[in-house]
Parts: sequence; C-alpha cells; structure tokens
Amino acid sequence: MSAAIVGAIVEMDDAGFIIGSYVLTFATVGLFAWRTLRRGRRLAEQVPDEEKYWL
Amino acid sequence: MLVLGGVLVAGGVIVTQFLGSAVDYYCNVDEIGTRSGCDDDRRLRVQGTVEADSVELDRGTTTFVITFNGAELPVRYEGEPGGIFKECLPVVVHGQIVDGTLEGDRVEVKHSEEYEAANEDRLEPDPRCEPGTV
Amino acid sequence: MTTTDLDAGTPARTSAPRGTGTRATRVLGIATVVAMAWLVAFGLGFSPADRDQEESVRILYVHVPTIWIAYLAFVVTAISSGCYLFGRKKSLGFDRVAGASAEIGVVFMAVTLIVGALWGRLTWGVFWQWDARLTTTALLFVTYIGYLAVRRLGGSHHQRAKRSAVLGLLAVLEIPLVHWSVRLWRSLHQEATVLRTDGDISMDGLMLFSLFVGVIAFTLLYVWLLLHRSRTMFLEDLIEDRGLDQALAARRAEAEEVRP
Repeated sequence: MSAAIVGAIVEMDDAGFIIGSYVLTFATVGLFAWRTLRRGRRLAEQVPDEEKYWL
Repeated sequence: MLVLGGVLVAGGVIVTQFLGSAVDYYCNVDEIGTRSGCDDDRRLRVQGTVEADSVELDRGTTTFVITFNGAELPVRYEGEPGGIFKECLPVVVHGQIVDGTLEGDRVEVKHSEEYEAANEDRLEPDPRCEPGTV
Repeated sequence: MTTTDLDAGTPARTSAPRGTGTRATRVLGIATVVAMAWLVAFGLGFSPADRDQEESVRILYVHVPTIWIAYLAFVVTAISSGCYLFGRKKSLGFDRVAGASAEIGVVFMAVTLIVGALWGRLTWGVFWQWDARLTTTALLFVTYIGYLAVRRLGGSHHQRAKRSAVLGLLAVLEIPLVHWSVRLWRSLHQEATVLRTDGDISMDGLMLFSLFVGVIAFTLLYVWLLLHRSRTMFLEDLIEDRGLDQALAARRAEAEEVRP
C-alpha cells in the first residue's frame, strides 16, 4: 500500500472505531490460530508420525 | 457444568429480553393511541423519519419533528443525538409523551440496507424526505 | 499477521511443516494472508464512503463475512453431526470436524458481535439494542457456547459424539430464525442487502467487491483453521486414549505385584 492510501486511512472520520474493528478482528482470529497451531505442535510430538493421517 | 449453567441462565435472559423488548420493538408515529401497546400515557419507542429543516439545537437541547405515514410528532432530546443522525433518516426515539411532545432520552438512527458511494456534488433534495416515499 | 504466524516452523531450519501442518495448509495459509491484505486495502482504502454512513460503512467488510462464515461453520457442524449419527461406520472423524467447525464459528461470531457493536455505535448511536436481530443472534451465540460445553462433559468419545451431534443438528435450526428476524419483526438492524430473495442488490460496485474480498479471505481462513483444529482434536483424542491405556496397564501391573 502506498503512503498516500495509508495517510488517507489514518485521517478518516472515526478512524479509531473503524481501524480498531479491523485490529480486533485480526487479533481475535490471530490468537485463536496461534493457540491452535501451538497446541497442535506440542501434541504432535507425543504421537508417532505413522498415526498422523494427514502426513 | 458451570459453563452449561451460565449458558442456560444467559439463554433465559435473552429469551426474556426477546419477549419483552424485541418482539414489539417500536411504534410508528401514526400508531400512537391506536395500536395496542402504543398508548400515549406510557413509555414508548417511536419510529419516524426526521423531517427536513426541523432539527434545531438550542443550549444543549435538540428539537426535531418525526413523521410517519402522514402523522407528525415533535421530539425534544437533551443533548445531541449520536450516530449518523440527520434529516430524512428514520430514527427510533425512546421516551414519554408530555403535552404532545415526545421527551426523548435515547435516539437510535436506523439506516437502510442500501449502500451508495458518497457524492459531494449532490445538489437535488434527498428523495427520502419527499412525502409518500417513506 | 505475517506468514510465520500462520504456518509451521522457521523456514530456514526445516522446509517440511511440523505439527498439524502440511504443504497444502501452508499454501492455504499464505493465500489467507494475501487475501486479508487485500481486504485491508479494499475495505479501508479503495472502497468509497457511504452517502449516509460515511466512513463507518467500512466495518461492514468484516462484520458481514464473519457472520456468513460463522453460519457456514454451523451448517458444516450440522452436516458432519448428521454423518456421524446416521453413518454406518460411526466415524469419530465426523465428530471432530463438527466440533472444530463449531469452535471456529463461535470465534467468528464473537468478532461479528464486537465489530457490530462498534458499527452500531457509529451509525445507530448505540452499541446495543435488544431488537429482533441482535437478540436472536445473541441466542445463537450462547447456544453454540453451550454446544462446546456439552462436548466437554466427559464420557467416552462416542458418548461425546452422540450427545453433541444431536445438539448440532438442533442448533442449526436457529440460523433461519436469525436471518429472517429482520423481516419477521420490526428491528433496528437493517434488512439483508445481498442474501435476499428478490435479488435486488442496492450496493455500490466497489463496496460489493470489497465485501466479496472479505468473504473469500474469511472462507480461506475458515478452511485453514478447520484443517488444523480437527487434526489437533484427533491428537487430543489419541493421547487421551493412550493415557487411559497406560493407566490401566499400570493398575494391572500394581495388582500383580500385590498378588504374590
């Protein structure tokens, strides 16, 4: 994204609510994705590869 | 188990809210005194379109007129309504009718499901304020 | 989000994904990140402001896709529950897909509710009102939290699967109620713009395109999450079974020691 677009986004009306809603969205799904991945990796270490049907 | 209990309580609260508030959410202006539950001696939620050129702000109090289906109702609200409040948009005002004026304490602005790009050059009057279109 | 957030491992050390990842999920993860970047560019940048709502219309591009994909997730839960319940094999794989999908649906729906409250504050002037749409949506949300709680009640995997499958098939019936609540009752929430029966969509072209980008982005994210989460659930079940086996073996060994 060019600097002009970024500038326009930051200066729009109600930027706090609007950008905040995007940030909240990405933070929520990002946290869920990260927790799922981390748990998957930890558990996968306790299971031999032959049992993992996706490999 | 604890979560399930919480869920059941929350579900009960929601259903109560539904029956108490959501089913009969508002009365239109022309239904005051005629539709059941819309008597003018009780607390009401009234829906109507803000009439053109009727909005006045005087020392922190906003007055305007809402109309629906030919009926009119003046509204007084302490403060400035939030949201996208402006003329020609439908609003729901919560309050009590005193001497023919709705003393509002909560204004909610409805917006339609139609989305149109903002156009700075728009000069013609908003068609939604013309009588007979609402 | 960056690509390293979304998929396995440090690429410098190993090229094969670890954990629940595969090459396919990695490609899907990268596509998701690219689509999300497009969503930000179109949602916050290229799309126009609305005549009435001005800039706040930009919240629509996350609010609407997240609830659509949440609906999709709950429908997948219902179908998968049906496959478990009525299939001859009683495969726990279906149960895990149902559970994983419902979990993702709840997360997406939480986003819809939070973001919707912010949008409501900007346009309606209030964060919340117990109108027909918001009330039925809240009911749908707590129903699926209840579904997830039922999955954790304990018992064998098949007990869990049977209980939750029945609930998953019943809960999905709330979705039409939520969708048509704005037609059935008077509400503050507006009616549907795109998912309507008369096909008469009143939306600026670039706005519609931005919404489309959002739907693609969250669909990709959903599929990526579903693959990872159902695999994680498989590992959870497997390790739980192992733990049970080991405990049984230990108790048997103990008993034999006591017996001389």
